Amino acid sequence: MTAIEQINQAAANIVPEIILLATVCVMFLTGPFLVDEQNRSSTVLRHRWGALSLMSLLAAGLVWYLEPATDINSGPIRVDGLVWVVRGLSLLFGGLLVLIAWNQVSGEHAAEMHACLLSCVVGANFVALSNDLVEMFLALELVSIATYILLCIPGRSRETLESTLKYFLLSIFSSALFLYGVSWLFGVAGTTSIPGIVEAMSAENAVANPTVLKMGMALVIMGIAFRLTAVPFHFYAPDVFQGATSSVAAMLSFIPKLVGIVALLRLLPAFAGQIELADWAPSGSIQQLLAFLAVVTMFGGNLLALGQRNVYRLLACSSIAHAGYMLVGLTIGNADPGVGGTTAVLFYLAAYGLMTVGLFALLTAARGAESPIRLVSDLSGLSQVKPVESLLMALCLFSMTGLPPTGGFLGKFGLFVTAWSDGTWMGRILAISLAVNTVIAAWYYLRLVGLMYFGSPKESESHSRQPLPLIAGVTCAIGTLLLFVMPQQIWTAIFNSAL
Amino acid sequence: MKLLLLLSLLLPIFGAVLLLLFQGATRQRTARWIALGTAVATLLVSLALLNEYRPLVGAMMPDNSPVQPRFEIRYPWLEFDASDSQETRSVSLEMHLGLDGISVSLIVLTALLTVSAVLISFESIKHRESEFYAALLALEAGLIGVFCAFDLILFYAFFELTLIPLFLIIAIWGGAQRQQAATKFFLYTLAGSVITLIGVVALVVLAVRAGLPHPCSIPDISAWLQRQPLDPQTQVMLFCLLSAGFLVKVPVVPFHTWLPLAHVEAPTAGSVLLAGVLLKLGTYGFLRIAIPFFPYACTAYGVPIIGALSVVGIIYGSFCALAQQDIKKLVAYSSVAHLGYCMLGLFALNVEGMTGGVLQMINHGLSTGALFLIVGMIYDRYHTRQLTELGGLAQRLPLIAVGLVFISMASIGLPGLNGFVGEFLSLAGMFQRDWVYAALGATGVILAAWYMLTMIQHGLFGPLKEPDTHGEVIRDMGLREIFALAPLAFLCLWLGVLPEKAISLIRPDIAAIARIYETAPVNSLAKSVPTTASDRELAGAIVPMGEPRAEVYESFR
Repeated sequence: MTAIEQINQAAANIVPEIILLATVCVMFLTGPFLVDEQNRSSTVLRHRWGALSLMSLLAAGLVWYLEPATDINSGPIRVDGLVWVVRGLSLLFGGLLVLIAWNQVSGEHAAEMHACLLSCVVGANFVALSNDLVEMFLALELVSIATYILLCIPGRSRETLESTLKYFLLSIFSSALFLYGVSWLFGVAGTTSIPGIVEAMSAENAVANPTVLKMGMALVIMGIAFRLTAVPFHFYAPDVFQGATSSVAAMLSFIPKLVGIVALLRLLPAFAGQIELADWAPSGSIQQLLAFLAVVTMFGGNLLALGQRNVYRLLACSSIAHAGYMLVGLTIGNADPGVGGTTAVLFYLAAYGLMTVGLFALLTAARGAESPIRLVSDLSGLSQVKPVESLLMALCLFSMTGLPPTGGFLGKFGLFVTAWSDGTWMGRILAISLAVNTVIAAWYYLRLVGLMYFGSPKESESHSRQPLPLIAGVTCAIGTLLLFVMPQQIWTAIFNSAL
Repeated sequence: MKLLLLLSLLLPIFGAVLLLLFQGATRQRTARWIALGTAVATLLVSLALLNEYRPLVGAMMPDNSPVQPRFEIRYPWLEFDASDSQETRSVSLEMHLGLDGISVSLIVLTALLTVSAVLISFESIKHRESEFYAALLALEAGLIGVFCAFDLILFYAFFELTLIPLFLIIAIWGGAQRQQAATKFFLYTLAGSVITLIGVVALVVLAVRAGLPHPCSIPDISAWLQRQPLDPQTQVMLFCLLSAGFLVKVPVVPFHTWLPLAHVEAPTAGSVLLAGVLLKLGTYGFLRIAIPFFPYACTAYGVPIIGALSVVGIIYGSFCALAQQDIKKLVAYSSVAHLGYCMLGLFALNVEGMTGGVLQMINHGLSTGALFLIVGMIYDRYHTRQLTELGGLAQRLPLIAVGLVFISMASIGLPGLNGFVGEFLSLAGMFQRDWVYAALGATGVILAAWYMLTMIQHGLFGPLKEPDTHGEVIRDMGLREIFALAPLAFLCLWLGVLPEKAISLIRPDIAAIARIYETAPVNSLAKSVPTTASDRELAGAIVPMGEPRAEVYESFR
């Protein structure tokens, strides 16, 4: 097979990504020519770019929906059920993020903004698609470089600069860790391709140098833990969220989690010498490391959130805690096929995405861009000014707490069952920490709901209506309810594809 | 029939959604009528259910499960193992609704109290009415859901769901310290129920290992545990975990501290439902889950520990009530004492005791609900509940005074009224199990008479003493308030004079549960279970990745 044939074959499997990347190219290339010398342009432009971005997501979604998933595991890309799930999630949430971001950007920056959002979506897909450590690194960078631009687009305030710079430096640091780990692994396995690593790790080819191997694995996991905001690699999150607009914060609270979890789902089985996710469970020191990260992340995130006065910082801390919950499922893995940890994690990821993106969307919808909600006290009495938004926000917050009737309840229940049915003390400790954290987290989520409902409203300023974020918020809230009432289809789809 | 059951659950939800959707459009007056209409419709549906319901026949067959719902609606909710293979055992949740005698009577109680709660709120809720009634109806739906859920997780979901509307009701429409009260109520009960969740999950995992096709179905689990009881250590552990949430909810002393605060701060309607039904979730949980599932733990640990705590609750609650100057707080503490009887009855673990316990649940719902209604009426008129500021109200408000005296008598347990039947049966049952608790508990009847009569004496009789009403004319009970109170008062009398009807409704289901304790007395059960450490490991209840432990256990026997 000639190289060109290989490329053609590969291209046929990544049509959704190609559609999105083509749109990104169009946006980046034509965007600069549509502004005048003072760097201004008409506001109509942002509607055009927004519509284009939505349309390309829709087209990609259509391809995703119509194209049957074929399993391919050779050459540069790997297509399997996990890719199908990740594509579905990233495209859906990409669309919701576009809706939130739509009116948050001026016409002249709209092209860059939407291009970067789409890049993040593509990057997430490529992490799942990658069949090589270097390729995965590139995919991770595709997400983070786009995020730098997203963070600094809105303006030149000190907070924005701080958050951009902080994210930039720490992201580079985490990339360096990841790359360093890759180089150790390359030293052991002699290749960076994931099937090659699997072969090197499998029992027949017992590796000569286990310490070097463990070092490499630990470094790679640490690099990914930065994306996941796992404690102790979490400290940048509150500052970055604080300086970000609501759409970027929504993106940051979901896409990096998706990316991190998927990267771990790709790499951890490979480290265990397995190519398939089915029957995979982490063992030994890797499992201990993950369990440690899970427990510390849960407690760290929730305890940090208790004292926050800024909504964005608070939600950043809560997103840290949720990363900890997800790590529980990864720690257990698929040892017991009846209650697969990976299914529970991916289901929780879907539920979490709905509640967190929904919450940011509703925060945007509740107040216009002119006076956004930043402080917790801004929420005071919101239910009297914006009853619909407050009700839906309360629903999302209850979902984050893990109360019925929301997807968060079933998601947490799934993780809980996974942890407990492991039958070891470690599993039980994980389950109990989940339970304890639910109660700690309830305190600060409840405070937000309480403020919205029994605080007295500030001066009743009339804000412009925000239909697009509201649509995104309503979609998320309905999704959250549906995940509780009829979860089976989503669960089955994830189950069948992730195993 | 099944449709009626579904309707009783969906009607309040529908009403709540309607109220929320047309929140802006409807005027506040319409909201209350929509709420009343929905509540009455739900009551009618629940009465129709009661009318259609026939008590269990053939419950005494030894092979039957101790929990046997009728009119079941089952459809799969979430199956963890979605692959087609039949071999792997996994968690599968069901939307499993059903009815038995106990739940049907509690559903009627819930529907009835909701109507009263809506009626009593007409004047006292002055802002954000549609939201208030929506929360009230959502609470009703959650409560009815708990009583007709026969899937463990669905039960738990409804159990937790009731927290949200009541939290909002207390937090938005409550008294001065409402935020503190609501938060304490929420976190306290959430902490308890999260421990319950650990127990539930542990039990479900065991059921999965045992190969149950529906490991979350309450009837299936109880049948399985009746065939093959768990080993004592596991039973005790699971009993403790599961009980945590129920103990807080009942509340059993010393887990009761959230209750007086929540009651005092809640609006009248919230108090009525909180005392009338919400506390019953705890006792219902014991009756539905803990008692049929863990016979050894209940007899060996439940009776002495919960018996002692209940007796302490009865005496301590009564003395606390005696010391209160705030009438609402007095009634709240009397609830602690009354639920002590209820728990004593349930943990008698025989037919008499449990019948008494369930009757006591209904009686307490009626009489305490009615007491809170009357306290609310007095508060609406004088904006105070302090006995120091009120006195001789019988002259000013004769109808309210008559109601208060009547309901207080029911609450004390005067023969001929409902309280007597429940307390008598509970104590009689407990006397057979362990006479000490019964004898100590019986002192509570005297104490109840003491604090109730003191309250009546100070509040109703003697020289007239009322706070300055700023020129407002004080009217006696109006027609609306009579409608709210009269059905409860009538039922108090009816259940006191003719308790057989209610007893025949619940007795077969209770007999089915009590049979576990008759056929397998403590001693033989204790002997038949492995006692040495190695044996326990063999029977391996939660030992990692065990074989289906039921089979191992069977071979051991």
